[in-house]
Amino acid sequence: MSAANDTLAMSPAAEPSDTAPVTTVATLDPVATAPADAHADTHESTEHAGGEAHAKGLPQFQTEHWAGQIVWLVIIFTILYIAIAKMFAPKLRGVISTRGSTISEDLANARAIRDEAEAQAKMSAEETAAAHAAARKLASDAKTKAAAESAKVQAEEDAKLNALIEDAETSIRASRDKAMAYVEDIATETASVLVEKLTGKAATKTALKAALSKA
Amino acid sequence: MADPLHQFQIQKIVELPTVEVAGIPIDLSITNSVLAMMIGTGAVLLFFLFATARTAIIPGRMQVMAEGLFGLIDDLAESIIGDEGRHFFPFIFTLFLFILSLNLVGMTTYFTATSQLAVTAALAVLTIGTVIVVGFARNGLGFFKLFVPSGVPWWILPLIVVIEIVSFLMRPITLSLRLFGNMVGGHIVMKVFAGFVVALAGLGIGGVIGAVLPLLSVVALTALEFLVAYLQAFVFAVLTCVYLNDVVNLGHH
Repeated sequence: MSAANDTLAMSPAAEPSDTAPVTTVATLDPVATAPADAHADTHESTEHAGGEAHAKGLPQFQTEHWAGQIVWLVIIFTILYIAIAKMFAPKLRGVISTRGSTISEDLANARAIRDEAEAQAKMSAEETAAAHAAARKLASDAKTKAAAESAKVQAEEDAKLNALIEDAETSIRASRDKAMAYVEDIATETASVLVEKLTGKAATKTALKAALSKA
Repeated sequence: MADPLHQFQIQKIVELPTVEVAGIPIDLSITNSVLAMMIGTGAVLLFFLFATARTAIIPGRMQVMAEGLFGLIDDLAESIIGDEGRHFFPFIFTLFLFILSLNLVGMTTYFTATSQLAVTAALAVLTIGTVIVVGFARNGLGFFKLFVPSGVPWWILPLIVVIEIVSFLMRPITLSLRLFGNMVGGHIVMKVFAGFVVALAGLGIGGVIGAVLPLLSVVALTALEFLVAYLQAFVFAVLTCVYLNDVVNLGHH
């Protein structure tokens, strides 16, 4: 309140006038009831400030306060300007640009690594494919080789067996022919004996032969 | 009802001597207006000191806020002025933060320094002064081309030049009155509606019910005034950019 009192003391129209007391909160009640003396000092100052404002319109047009405000404004504004221009703005711009470059650097790194990985993946895929092809070729080679070998062995074996079979068949044929020859002799003998016994006289060899060939 | 204009009354907090410079008495006392400026600027300084104390690639919360404000004005300056906007960024950023902090101090805690015509006029003169100084420094006497737009028929030129000069002279006035009017008007309206609430509620039960409407209005107005507090600071910054662009890129348009 002392500040308000100072204003009061300074201003020339310091009369605690009755011109505009009705408008302030502080005097709403007392004006109606209390005597004029009851305007205690605190009330008076508030009342006065309000009254002054009313008397002169907006308090902003009290030009006696202008010069001080402007001087202080320039001082305070300059302090803020220097702080921002010398400290805060460069610091913030620095960190923002650092972040930008860091991000782009990281992105470039990541891109390079990705490209490398892709190249490696491609290379390894090629290697795998080559290995696959080699393995397939090796397998097929082995298969054909094995097939050829087994076919050769088979043929040799077949030839050997065929020879054995041939031999066996010739010997069988020979034995059969021999046996067949014996059969004719036996038949002739048996027939001559039968004829002799039945007829009592021996049959001629030519007749027997003719009969046998007829049978 | 409380006098809605009383809130704008300058009061002395710390008495200091009056200095006389060139016949003009300058009362250097710290008034509530000056204290509000100190609080606002102090808050801005503290905020940025903390926010930039440990700047990191991955920012903390404070740093994100500081960078948001920085980016807002930086983008603004660059989009309006172009590449050279970077040179004027500190001034525009200071103006923006100064006005925003004063508006917010007025909205939240203490005196509204931006409702003082002396303050807004000083800021406007500071801005236009910067524009004029930059204009002469960059263009020399070519600065006066600002008042002679190219591509205008010669017979209409005298009229155009007069209009351009008048509009240039009006700039500090509109700059200061826009901010001043917005802050004063908003605070008066809030105070008046708040006064209605108190006055009506004092009448008894019926009055209390009647007071609900102005109370809701005060709540809505308060939200609106926060928007205005930000918007006026931003508008001031935008116009500063526009005026600086006129003299920085003189003859480019």
